[in-house]
Amino acid sequence: MADRVLPRKGDRDTGAFFEAADRRELVYKACDDCGTVINPPRARCAKCGGWNTSWKQSAGKARLNTWSVVHQQVHPLFPAPYTIVVVELDDAPGIRYVGYMDGAHDLHEGMAMRVRFEPTEDGGALPQWMPDNAE
Amino acid sequence: MDELAIAARDKCAIAGIGVTEFMKDSRRSVLSLATEASLAALEDAGLRPEDVDGIVRCPHDQITHNDLASSLGIPDLTYWGEVGPGGVGPCAQVGQAMAAIMGGLATTVLVFRSLNGRSEDRFGQGGHMTKSAPVVGGRATYDEYFLPFGLMTAGQTFALMTQSHMNKFGTTSEQLGHIAIVCREYANHNPRAQMGDRTLTMEDYLSSRMISSPLRLFDFCLETDGAAAVIVTTTERAKNLRQKPVLIRAQAGGCPPDMRGGMMFPIVMRDDPTEIGGKKAGETLYRKAGIGPDEIDVAQIYDCFTISILLQLEAYGFCKKGEGGPFAASGALRPGGSLPINTGGGHLSEGYIHGMGHVVEAARQMRGESSYQIEGAETCLVTGGPLPTGSALMLRRA
Ligand SMILES: [Zn+2]
Repeated sequence: MADRVLPRKGDRDTGAFFEAADRRELVYKACDDCGTVINPPRARCAKCGGWNTSWKQSAGKARLNTWSVVHQQVHPLFPAPYTIVVVELDDAPGIRYVGYMDGAHDLHEGMAMRVRFEPTEDGGALPQWMPDNAE
Repeated sequence: MDELAIAARDKCAIAGIGVTEFMKDSRRSVLSLATEASLAALEDAGLRPEDVDGIVRCPHDQITHNDLASSLGIPDLTYWGEVGPGGVGPCAQVGQAMAAIMGGLATTVLVFRSLNGRSEDRFGQGGHMTKSAPVVGGRATYDEYFLPFGLMTAGQTFALMTQSHMNKFGTTSEQLGHIAIVCREYANHNPRAQMGDRTLTMEDYLSSRMISSPLRLFDFCLETDGAAAVIVTTTERAKNLRQKPVLIRAQAGGCPPDMRGGMMFPIVMRDDPTEIGGKKAGETLYRKAGIGPDEIDVAQIYDCFTISILLQLEAYGFCKKGEGGPFAASGALRPGGSLPINTGGGHLSEGYIHGMGHVVEAARQMRGESSYQIEGAETCLVTGGPLPTGSALMLRRA
């Protein structure tokens, strides 16, 4: 059995996010013309109607929006308990990503989080989130 | 703008309703269940399979229009359609049947949902993934952003929405517990309900095991094998059939203010995951129906989880945003309260037929045949699943 559920690579709209993660970089999609952030990512900005969108680098700092501690296991690759977190990027408000934390955690809304890159067996990495104790 | 919707008020009707038993293991195919519920609805209406010329299915159903027409022996189908996804389906399926009839595409439309939701296809099992070397997502599913991070089920998605509502508004587990208990109280009057003979106290609720915090066992609906079907035709024709027609006043869909792509998981990327499409669906429905929330006598509110009801109480204008918890705890939803809901027990306590059971129970209320009949009820709101977009239906007593 593989030790991870892996994202499909090479999707024409989302693939670059995971390719960046494999390089240990966190990115997000935004409009080059009006600055609107776009997530899930796609080619067109619905705000201004333009197609000039591109991937931007994030510093990987975020705030915790919401979370759930999963007590009932639904898949053998995700033994319970574990915690699902939803964070919003500090440098791109409106961009939210989901992360996995092993075990149950005591969390609160707005707490500072930072990205970490979890290696996967294919040599890549998944962007995960953890409390930013430096703050 | 609304002339055609106003002209269509009460022109179509639900002429027949049918259900199978709701159970844990049907030991029959989904096609057999769909066939049984459809035959029951036809029998109820006093119609035969050859009278049906349209079918509207839900895209989550295994059964296609030709599967069911073939099984029932419908010789001449002139129209078929599908609308969903999932629990968004039933209200919109009835709307599509109405649209087909008003457009002259069909005269008598069978609307159905059938599933072996407990014995074969359990939605809560993260079924997208195989157990070895799973690679997920791509091609506009957006699953790649969620499944590899452990977000795999509807229960976990609604748990994240619930925690968000608790963060913003101070909503409590006890308030969710009141919703579970209210549905059980109605189910205790319903011999068809799977939880019909089991009571539920607040102590039972609060001591039930946590599944995905803050949601507990009794916040979740009942995985169910079963099917439900209704027959839609013109009100004029329905008047000459076996049952009193249930008038279709209006139907509407609606989008959330911050809509994202994808089916369910991307809701957690929204600026406010507690804002659902039901708000717009309700506003449009009330305008087209000429009936507002104050005039609704009884409601069948889609309840995959307790939080689904709480969010919709706010979205459909029964209380202010953020006040769904106190409203649920106020007693308004209970038997004898100002807004009786899910009078057969709903998904939480009767059985999960992905929203089609709610249409059937609404029709029962409008015919005066519910196991918990609301005396004098003349209007019934039905709502569909809250993700990714909303749908709702207004029915009237003839
Ligand atoms: Zn733009």
